This record gives sequence, C-alpha cells and structure tokens, in this order.
Amino acid sequence: MTTMINNSTSAFYERASLGIGDLRKRAETIQTQLGSGQKLARSSDNPVVASRLRQLARSDALSEIDKSNANRATADLNLTDQALTSFNDYLQRVQEIATAAGNGTLTDSQRAAYGVELQGIQSSMVALANSRDSAGHSLFGGEMAGQPYSLDGSGNAVYSGTASAGQISLGEGQSVTRGLTGPEFLNFSVNGTPTDLMAVVKNLADALQGGSSDPAQAARDSLGALSTGLDKLTTAQTVVGSRLSWIDLTTTHRTNLTELRAQEETDIGATDIPTATAQLSQMMTVLEASQASFVKLASLSLFNSLS
Amino acid sequence: MASDLLSIGKSGAQAARAALDVTSQNIANASTDGYVRRSVALSEVASAGGIGQTGDISLSGVRVAGIVRNADTFRQSEVRRTGADAARANAEVAGLENIESAVEGADTYSAIVKFEGSLQQLAADPTNTSLRASVVESARTMASSFNVASQGLDSVRDGLQFEANDGVDQVNKLAQELARVNLRLARASDASSDQTALLDQRDSLLQSLSNYTDISTTIAADQTVQVKLGGTSGASLVSGGTATAFAMTTAGDGTISFTLGGSPVTVAGGSLAGKAQALTKLADTRSQLDTIANNIMSTVNDAQAAGVALDGTTGQPMFSGTGAGGMTLVLASGDGLATAPAGAGANSRNSGNLDALRSALSANDPADAMDKTIFDISSTVQGRTISRDALVTIANNAKIALSAQAGVDLDQEAVNLVRYQQAFQASGRIMQVASDIFDTLINIR
Repeated sequence: MTTMINNSTSAFYERASLGIGDLRKRAETIQTQLGSGQKLARSSDNPVVASRLRQLARSDALSEIDKSNANRATADLNLTDQALTSFNDYLQRVQEIATAAGNGTLTDSQRAAYGVELQGIQSSMVALANSRDSAGHSLFGGEMAGQPYSLDGSGNAVYSGTASAGQISLGEGQSVTRGLTGPEFLNFSVNGTPTDLMAVVKNLADALQGGSSDPAQAARDSLGALSTGLDKLTTAQTVVGSRLSWIDLTTTHRTNLTELRAQEETDIGATDIPTATAQLSQMMTVLEASQASFVKLASLSLFNSLS
Repeated sequence: MASDLLSIGKSGAQAARAALDVTSQNIANASTDGYVRRSVALSEVASAGGIGQTGDISLSGVRVAGIVRNADTFRQSEVRRTGADAARANAEVAGLENIESAVEGADTYSAIVKFEGSLQQLAADPTNTSLRASVVESARTMASSFNVASQGLDSVRDGLQFEANDGVDQVNKLAQELARVNLRLARASDASSDQTALLDQRDSLLQSLSNYTDISTTIAADQTVQVKLGGTSGASLVSGGTATAFAMTTAGDGTISFTLGGSPVTVAGGSLAGKAQALTKLADTRSQLDTIANNIMSTVNDAQAAGVALDGTTGQPMFSGTGAGGMTLVLASGDGLATAPAGAGANSRNSGNLDALRSALSANDPADAMDKTIFDISSTVQGRTISRDALVTIANNAKIALSAQAGVDLDQEAVNLVRYQQAFQASGRIMQVASDIFDTLINIR
C-alpha cells in the first residue's frame, strides 16, 4: 500500500463547510438572542438561570395577588374608618342631647322629643353596624355571612357575628386583620357591667320618653358611659390607622422587591444588546472573510491551468 | 536476444492506458461517498539470463501488478469508532431535547403557580363565586397541562421506539448485506478491480453499521470481515457468510434492550444506544411528573374531604385518576370548594380549611418539584450537548483525516493525467522507433 501526503478535494470541502457552518450557527444564535431579547431560547441553554427565572416569575405572579389582597384590605379598613367616623358623629350628637336633657329646666315633652331623636340615632347606629365591605360582606360581622346585628323583641341590637375579623395575607409571610368586629369597638363596661353603645343610647331614649321617674338624672348618669364609648371608638380608629400604615409599609417593601426581581430578571435573562451586536458584527466579519477565502481557494484548480 | 522493442512499447502504452483509466475513475468519483482513491501498481517485466547467458538483455516492458486502494484501516476504524460515539450522543441529545420540550412546552410550572395564586386570591374572600370559579378553572388548566406534558412524553417515547425499531431493521439489513459481500470477497481474485469495489462496499457498509451500533471488526487475510457487538469479546453479528439476527425488546416503562441471536447484548455506541439512553431518561422524567401530579391530587383531595363546601356539605374530591396522564378535574363548580373547616355552616366565610390546604401545598411545594424536574432534564440536556459537541468534533476530525488520506485530490489527478498521457505518447514513440529501425534494416540493399 502506498501512503503519500495527500490533501483530498473532498476533505477540503468538508473542512470548509464545517467551519463556515459552525460560524453561521453561532451568528444565528446571537441573532435569535437579539430578536427575542432573551438570552435563553430553552431551559437547557442555561438550566440554573432558567430555574431562577422560573422562580422569579412565580414570585412575581404571587406578588401580584398579594398586591390585590393588600388593596382589598386597604379598601375594607378605609370603609371601617369612615364608619367609625360616622359613629363618632352620632355619639357627639348623643352627648349633646344627654347634656341638654340633663338640664332640669326642660319640660317632659321636650325630653320626649330628644328621646325620639335618640331612638332614630340608635336605629341608624344599628344600620351602620350592619354596613357592607368592598366585597359585599358585613363590615363588622367578622367571618359570618349576612347581617351581624338584629333587633330583638324589645328593640335591643343583638350581635350574631364571629368573635374576630379574619386575617388577610400580604405576602412575605406578613398578614393583617382585615377589619373590626362590632363588639370590638361598641362593647365596653360601665362600673363592671358589660354593655354596648347602642344599648346605652336605647336606654337613654327609653328613659327620656317616660321610662324613668327622673329622666334628667338618667341623662346626666349616661354621660359617663357615653364618654367611655367615645374612648373606645377613638382607640378603634387608632388601631385602624396603624393597620393601614402597616399595609403601606408592606406595600413599599413589596414594590422594592418587585423592582429587585425585575432587575435580576433583566440581568440574568435579557440579552445585552451592545455586547451581542458587537459579537454579531465580529462574527459576520469572520464569516464573510472565510466565505470569501473559500470561494478563492475553491476556484484554484490545476485543471484551469492545463490546456 | 529476448527483448522486443514493439512489445515493450505496447506494454508501456497499455500500462499508461490503465493508469489513465484509474485516474479518470478517481476524478469521476472525487465526491463519491466512501470512494477510496485508487492507484496503479506497475512492475517491470524482465528476466535474468539463463546459464551461460548472464550478460544477455532480457527486457519485456511493464505490467499492471494491481490496483492499489489507498485505504488506511486504522483511520477507517477510527472513523467507525468515533462515528458510533457521535451518533449515540446525537441520538441521545435529540431525544432529551424532545423530552425537555414536552415537559417545558406544556407550561405545567406556570399552571401550578396559577393554581397556587388562585387559592391565595380566594383566601381574601372565600365565598366569592368568581374567585371560586377561577380556582376551579385554574385547576382544570393545571390538570390539562399535566395531560399535555404526559402526552408529549408519550409521543416522544413512541417516536424514539419507532426509530429504534427502524434502526434494528437497518442493522439486520446491513449485516445480511455484509455477509453477502464477505462471500463475494472470499471468491474474488486478489487485487482485481472487482475486489476494490467490493472493499469499498464492505467499508461503507461497516461505516453505516457503526452509525447504529458500536461494532468491533476483524479483517481476515481474504479481506472478509467479522463483526462483533458488545466489544471485542462480544457475540458475532457477521461472521463469514452468516449474519445473526439482532432484535429489540421493549419493557413496560418504555425502555428498550437488545438481543443478538436471542441472548442479551449491550449496545454502547451508535444511535440505538443513544435512543435507549433517552428512553431511560424519559421513564425517569415521567415518574417524576407522575409523582408531582399524584402529590397535588392527594393533597387537594385530602383537604377537600376535611372541610365543607359552600352549602355546608362535606367537600367532594377535586381530582380523579392517577399520574400526570390520568389527572382529571371532577369538581363540577366552584361552590364545591371546601374552604371552611368541618362543622362550619353554609356560606361560611371561615377560610380555615383553605388555609390548611394552602399550607399543605406549600409544604409539598409542587411548583418547586416541577422546577426541579425541568432543571433535571434541562441540565442533562446541557451536559450531554457539551459532550455531544466534543464527540461530533472528534468524529468530524477523524472523517476529515480519513478523507484527506483516502480521498481524491483533483490537483494530483490532473498531474497524473498529464503524466500518463505523456507516458502513453512516449510508448507510442517507442513503437515508432521500432518501426524506423525495422525500416532501416529492411532498406539495406
């Protein structure tokens, strides 16, 4: 067998096509990255980054829901705050009436008229205590369905809701109590006897309308209970305000995290346009050069020179 | 005086003619796959003088001693070996990429995240019918994306098995063809042109065979080849004029194994080995997917049974079936979601059971398991792609090395064409001289 130094034509073409094909493939990969704006076309391009991107997308999706939950909690707490302000207004009017009715110079019929107004205020308070939240559920009934307060046979408001309002998740393991139950801001005790604001108003209304032998004294006696009720309301409003600011705080935190995630997604997943463009034009230069040199070499054949 | 100028010239012309034939055959087959460059081996025809006649000139010209086939058997076996490795890696990576696409393309991960998110949203308002409906719909999406992933894996498995089956048929066909070539080689006379064509055929059959499976070859003195599977000590696929039947068996989990003549044989290279490896990974991926689907189903169904639906009755199962392929949503409407704990009345806004479900799901973390599954398969693809690229480069280099040595160089053939043309003309000139000499002698008066 003869062995000789031999550069076969097919080997030349094979080498050239492998080289040029490889360059083309690399140029196309960069082109795809530029076109899609993403470094990864499929997970196997970089499994670690792809997995991180999936986790970031998951956090983003869940964070969106946390955001809507936080908005819902904010709406409910704002409604609670407004209702508490209305209770406050009513209570001030009741205090005015109690002070006026306590004046001994009023006639019984004048006191009875005050009594009628108080009755109206009491039923307004019951209606307010039955108001709805942003989703149409009772605002002060805790987790119950339907209306938490109803009137019994003698016109007293009776609470039938649950003991506490539910928690709502704000994400990152944080949560907030979404509202207040009626008893949490309406119930208090006077001289060790538990009562509630609406009962106090009802009793005063009854007393002024002839239910008591000394209505003026009853009106003066009720002032102490009313001021305790006012304290309770003010405290409740402070609680609601601090919950709202807690939601604000977690929202700011969440927004920061979302920005960080977006930054990380861009850093690890997005195509760096300037670098990729530079790489592409470098690749194109090499590709053009090798194509040109291939054409030149391929046209070199001894057959052309033999005649 | 034994020399004859005319017959020397004739033998020279014949030899040059034969060389020209071989050269043009080379040029014609410059780009034929598997063609090995031929050259003519010439030898002088001369005899020493007999006893007492040692000084005599006894020259009879030249003869064609044979057609030389410039194949380097080492490079050829390197091409087969590296080609089998590259074919295996290519088949494995192609199969793995399809598995990756099936699992990733079904978008099961984001479907699980959506389901998780819909539960989280429902917790804000457990009795809201549209939020309940959204949970049921995202559960349906999740179940169908598991189904799609499973069907994707099914079709990848079917495709791989079909190709492997076809590969086994090809191996049998090639083995039978090789056995026939062996028979003809054993009968053909040495160094005839016919035998070089047979040798080309033998080598190209061996190369085709090495694309499907790794083979070890032994070439006998009569140029027939013995082919073994499973290493040099393995069983023989082709021996002389006999080919042994090669077959494939499919296991219940879709993985494949091979037998040669009825007894098991290990195939370590070639596309068949690659497909077998991809099928093994596929079975593994499927069991991971099934585990995730079963976990989700049992967690959700257990939670459903522990709570009460919107109408206060005990919760009914949300999913039925087993595995990713069988996962079916059976809960008819969102009202059936058991968000409230057992004992709570109808229309309860108590989200105790929903919270329990969410914490059970987050302890189980199917999204994370899915992420791991995708990571597992995609990092396998990535790792295998790197080694595939290396193996393909090695195989390409071996192929170029072989074709550089055994292929046709057109420039060289052009030179040969001129050279043998001149030799032919020169031999013609010798005959002219012989004729002139004869004329000289005959003109003496």
